[in-house]
Amino acid sequence: MIAIGSRCAILFLGILTLDAVEDLPLKQGSVRFAVIGDMGTGDKAQYEVAQQMERYREKTGFDFVLMLGDNIYGGKSPADMKRKFEYPYGPLLDAGVKFYASLGNHDNPNERFYKPFNMGEKRFYSFRKGNAEFFALDSNYMDPQQVEWLTNALRDSNSTWKICYFHHPLYSDGKFHGPDTDLRARLEPIFQASGVRVVLSGHEHLYERIKPHGGIYYFVLGNSGELRPHNLKPSPDTAKGFDTDRDFMMVEIAGDELYFQTISRTGETIDSGVIDRK
Amino acid sequence: MKLVVAMVLLTDVLCAQIGHAPVNADSAIIRDFEKRVAAYLQLRKSIESNLPKLKATPSEEKISHHEIQLRHAVREARKYARPGDIFTPEISAEIRRLIAMAMHPDGPEIRQSLRSAEPVQLHLAINEKYPDGVPLQTTPPSLLENLPALPPEIEYRITGRDVVLLDAKANLIVDIIRGVFS
Repeated sequence: MIAIGSRCAILFLGILTLDAVEDLPLKQGSVRFAVIGDMGTGDKAQYEVAQQMERYREKTGFDFVLMLGDNIYGGKSPADMKRKFEYPYGPLLDAGVKFYASLGNHDNPNERFYKPFNMGEKRFYSFRKGNAEFFALDSNYMDPQQVEWLTNALRDSNSTWKICYFHHPLYSDGKFHGPDTDLRARLEPIFQASGVRVVLSGHEHLYERIKPHGGIYYFVLGNSGELRPHNLKPSPDTAKGFDTDRDFMMVEIAGDELYFQTISRTGETIDSGVIDRK
Repeated sequence: MKLVVAMVLLTDVLCAQIGHAPVNADSAIIRDFEKRVAAYLQLRKSIESNLPKLKATPSEEKISHHEIQLRHAVREARKYARPGDIFTPEISAEIRRLIAMAMHPDGPEIRQSLRSAEPVQLHLAINEKYPDGVPLQTTPPSLLENLPALPPEIEYRITGRDVVLLDAKANLIVDIIRGVFS
């Protein structure tokens, strides 16, 4: 992987970052989507991130969003669903953007019946877009049935890109939660055996890109609404971190390349790069 | 959070005294547990079959209405439910044993898993609703792997010191084992 993203060429924690491309290349026929996590507060900051997302939708034409859990904090009344989801993302929903949710520990599992979350009434599910298949998992309750489903679904997938997303991170340098190592022990061997290249999680209210483990790139993005300022304690595992504001991520998949760009609430690109499938 | 970790540590200590085999699906205790779970499920399904079927909907109102109706109807049908109706003393002892066993090889991972979730201190009762706005504690995969399988409608959840059976769709506490983590 060549990570691309700083304003100048630097060596950051052992990973080469180059000032080549900050914006996505917008290649013809590519798969483009956004990623948000721990967003459902209904607070001003969530709305401001959503506004940035709409700006990027106009620019990139992304047509779906992955939700990494904690989609709705606190109350879940119809008014809450409006204030914490339908209003902030209204312009995106109006433009036909589809949201694909995974469940966080603050979510009611019955959110799987909420149609705008496109979960097909399931706690865990997969869907395909172009040459990529996405696997939304319920990390709150990783029972043997879900593990078996995941193992089979990944094995049977012939997609070029297999991307897994769920709430609790397998790797994290956040001070508040840290990684879920029991979940890691169960999932990582399955990911490695089945060619998963990218794993996205939230829970920790910050952004962190972890150095690859066994060829898998782990991202933590749990600050699209919530924020725990200065909560990242970078380790040798940290490739890039951001814990002073909210953000979301843009991703573009073009053939064997996956481009990512993480954008703050104020519109600044805080990380970007490209991951090769091989 | 510290309290839960301490409780888990205590459970870990217990496992030193335990050298039994892992869950045996053919054992009389487990078969009895499965029968009791199946009976609950049958009741719950028959109640739900009288309600309008819940399908994916953009109306949060319909989703919460279904949840409330289901919970109230199950609660009414089980108004005499008591601790131990499903988690009998024998089953409770077996589940304690299985959790202690899981803590033996996977203790550090399970402790870390519990730490990285958001441990909650709740003292819930049977037929009570899991409270709004309180995060659900993750049930570590290693524990789930070691416990008797449940149908997808019902889950093992850790609430403070207790292990509860939660009917997730009705958001209802079905039975409780107290003090598993103490």
